[in-house]
Amino acid sequence: MPSSTSFPPSSSERALEVHHLTGPASAPIIFEIEIFVARGETLLVLGPIQSGKSMLMRHLVGLECAASGTIAVDGEAFDPTKPEDKALRRLRSRVGVLFEGSALLRRISVLENVELPLLEHEHSSRAHARDAARELLAEVGIQVDDDTMPVQLGRAGQRRVALARALALKPRLMLLDEPTLGLDSPAAHEFDETLHAVQKKYDFGIVIFSHEIRHAYTPANQIDVLAGGRIVARGTRESLLRSDDPVIHGLLHRRERE
Amino acid sequence: MMSLPVRNSDVGSRTPRSSTFLTGEWSVGTGVTRLGGRFLSRGRVALGALHWLSWIIVSPRSVVSGGVARELDTLGVGALRLVGSASILVGLIATFQVAYQLKQYGAESVSALAIGWFATREVGPLVVALLVVTRSASAIAGEFAAMTSGGEIDALRVMGLDPVKYLVAPKLAALFVALPALTVIADGFITFGGWVGTTLFLGFNSRFYLEQIRTSLSTSDIATGVAKSLIFGFVIAIIASDEGLSVDRRVTAIGEAASRAVVYCLLGVLAADTLVNAILYFIPALVL
Repeated sequence: MPSSTSFPPSSSERALEVHHLTGPASAPIIFEIEIFVARGETLLVLGPIQSGKSMLMRHLVGLECAASGTIAVDGEAFDPTKPEDKALRRLRSRVGVLFEGSALLRRISVLENVELPLLEHEHSSRAHARDAARELLAEVGIQVDDDTMPVQLGRAGQRRVALARALALKPRLMLLDEPTLGLDSPAAHEFDETLHAVQKKYDFGIVIFSHEIRHAYTPANQIDVLAGGRIVARGTRESLLRSDDPVIHGLLHRRERE
Repeated sequence: MMSLPVRNSDVGSRTPRSSTFLTGEWSVGTGVTRLGGRFLSRGRVALGALHWLSWIIVSPRSVVSGGVARELDTLGVGALRLVGSASILVGLIATFQVAYQLKQYGAESVSALAIGWFATREVGPLVVALLVVTRSASAIAGEFAAMTSGGEIDALRVMGLDPVKYLVAPKLAALFVALPALTVIADGFITFGGWVGTTLFLGFNSRFYLEQIRTSLSTSDIATGVAKSLIFGFVIAIIASDEGLSVDRRVTAIGEAASRAVVYCLLGVLAADTLVNAILYFIPALVL
């Protein structure tokens, strides 16, 4: 089990707290997951492909039914084994998610993508939602016309739009699945900077699920190493770099080999 | 604003459809289980779509209504040329078939009577439905399957947005408008095809043909055809959408969903047509 440095985090305001999470109920592939993230902090869940990262993220937003465990977002507990409609709605209104590949709706414009949660949840007028969407897009460095479609933007632009959409409901927790996958190095670096700038402004906790070792070299407060559906190590980059565990060694020293 | 509960069916219980029906790897036990699951899933999509359809009707300025206009353009206006040209050919085919049969009894001259009646009650709505199935069912299922495997459906759910409201209900609304409209247009083109066949190839004059059409056409026949087209529109929207929303994340899943949608929509339309015809035969009082 994990070689922890400061676990759980001492912050009083936890954005995410997960205990003994095993799932999905039909055929578990993640086991006994324990993770904590405080508001304003960043957790990197690092693991090889097929280690269960995306499945863990899907559990955290109620897209999968867990076999056991508890999840609390922003101090409010949620039973992942029997997700109730009301609890799911509350949970999802507090969590922003950036899926791998952005997952923007391709048949509506960029602005409409960002407006959608505002119109649905905040019952804003169209004009107000449009202004708010433009502001959010400006915050992540995107300027578009009314009819600009997602496919007209590059991969980095789409990722930023997805970030703006995830910010729309002022989340307490932001989950990002492979956020910089497929971006070139400068674009990935700019995305990281934007992400941490909006985190500073809105004070949400971040969980990054990735197999890219480069995230360990960005200011993540803690790294959890996921392998075979289990957290096999936990700590800061410095503490994990000293580990003799072959899985951790293989993951963290890949950058040097590359 | 009304809101449909975020269903627990969104969570974990989604059973991806496999292609066993198409590949022939099928057993009775799995078949029965899948059939039950399929009906349950279709029922859920249908109830949700009808619920949100009523919401679209009472909130015409909602964000979803823009989607209806877009779908109407794609599913309805986009099918006009296909429906028009195919209907003229169907009119010609019907003319030759009916005239050939009636010729044996020396009644070739009354073929236009049958064309007018048969076109509006049966051939018009059925041909339009089959054309829309081949053109749009695979497109709907493929689009939703691509959205599912691309994470867009999950993104909607995570934002607390019901995919049935934002994706299925606009398509259902568009098909509820497009299919009856296309059916009436098809009725016109089939009649036109019949006129071409009757005057150009059978040698009757236009006045005679139009007189027979006027005698044979009745408002109740057109209304029956339009009512059938509404049922077909419902069947196509629900089956195609459900197939697209129920895929897993395999590379081949999109193509398989599109194929399944066409197969099941064709069967669904034919089954619905059979049922309606049987009901109208046994309970003639229901004829509009």
